[in-house]
Amino acid sequence: MIPAQFDYLTPKTIDEAVGLLAQHPDEAKILAGGHSLIPAMKLRLAVPQVLIDLGRIKDLAYIREEGGQIRIGAMTTHYQLESSGRLAEICPLLPACAAQIGDVQVRNKGTIGGSVAHSDPAGDWPAAVIALGAEIVAVGAGGERVIKATDFFVDMLTTALLPGEILREVRIAMPGGRFGQCYLKVPQPASGFAVVGVAVHLTRASGGSCESAGVGITGVASKVYRASAVEQAITGSGLDEQAVAAAAAHATDGVSVNGDLYASEAYRRHLAQVYTRRAIEAAAARAH
Amino acid sequence: MKIEGTHELHASPERVYETLIDPTVLQRCIPGCERLEKTGENAYSTTLRAGVGSIKGVFTGNVRLEEMQPPRRFRMIVEGKGQPGFLKGAGDLEIEAREGLSIVKYTGEVQVGGTIAGVGQRMLQGAVKMMSTQFFTAIEAEAKTESHEPPPKHGFFRTALRWFSGLLRRMFRRTITSAKL
Repeated sequence: MIPAQFDYLTPKTIDEAVGLLAQHPDEAKILAGGHSLIPAMKLRLAVPQVLIDLGRIKDLAYIREEGGQIRIGAMTTHYQLESSGRLAEICPLLPACAAQIGDVQVRNKGTIGGSVAHSDPAGDWPAAVIALGAEIVAVGAGGERVIKATDFFVDMLTTALLPGEILREVRIAMPGGRFGQCYLKVPQPASGFAVVGVAVHLTRASGGSCESAGVGITGVASKVYRASAVEQAITGSGLDEQAVAAAAAHATDGVSVNGDLYASEAYRRHLAQVYTRRAIEAAAARAH
Repeated sequence: MKIEGTHELHASPERVYETLIDPTVLQRCIPGCERLEKTGENAYSTTLRAGVGSIKGVFTGNVRLEEMQPPRRFRMIVEGKGQPGFLKGAGDLEIEAREGLSIVKYTGEVQVGGTIAGVGQRMLQGAVKMMSTQFFTAIEAEAKTESHEPPPKHGFFRTALRWFSGLLRRMFRRTITSAKL
């Protein structure tokens, strides 16, 4: 449980961090909250030679409302998001998701930027940012780049971040109109990771029918994905029981479902459909 | 752990079979393969730097091919160990010709132990799928190349690009097929 030897660098600004990363292109890893990377290093499953800790950079933990968006700094901890009264009003999916991550220690140290950049196939934030149609801001030597959340998660532990880029901010369009949200999860009892996690953000048109829907599903496949077939099936419907159930049946369409010792492929597929239905029902009930 | 998968390759079964048992080609196509040496008739020893994202480990092991029936099927016996754990398994690979394509099906049973099995259990199946897609995408590119041509280059972006163009092709064909119906 002792990691291999590594160098530890503590930049004071994001530009300095980008510069350090450029100096160590192959051997460096970015350290955010450290609640995925450090355990992997202790088990020597990850053996980076250099760690660049973002923890000393002052202006990376924030929740701002700017330009019609909610902007969240990469180093904002799960707890800061969980306990934000303002977010509970304007985008309750974020605190609801944060509250279901790991345990108190993890939420106190773990960050949204770290979780998104790690792209754990059972991570909670990826599902929420996909459902909300978020944008991910990456900064590299060439400046800033905005990546859509749906394009960001490439595969298991693999993102659209290029070597030399650091995730700086998550941007979410300010939810408006008659919207409802829900994050529902079956946690693995030992690890707290999602066996299945479903994030839903939907809006109702003035007549009450579903105007738009975003559904992100975690824990089921090699990466967190957008359940496009569910979104299409539910959009335009009256959000009644039959319509929701019919849409939720598409939860794993076109997805290669994974099994493990705890949950077989068939069980996961079933859970995904049931939890998608419940999450849409709950979100619909809140959209008024 | 049971592993299985099907991959559709745009090449003849003969070329795919040749490619799959050619050690120099395999060394280029297996993700993270650093060394592959022949140790006997259809037996090889190998060093792999395998993993996904920042989680990586070095494995050394042996591969043996048995019950070879070119160009249709063979059986593969694998054992390996490394700092993150060990694995041991056997599987069957079958190639079926269909409309100018080769359909490669593999099924196998692998035992995984050590750290990687303990803490990485929930990710194992996904990691296997990810690496096998990379592998067969590279094999397809090799099998499409004639033996006198220079070998294709593999890398993350090339492999991703090939995978994506293959996906588009399949979607397109599906649309055409359903339009006919």
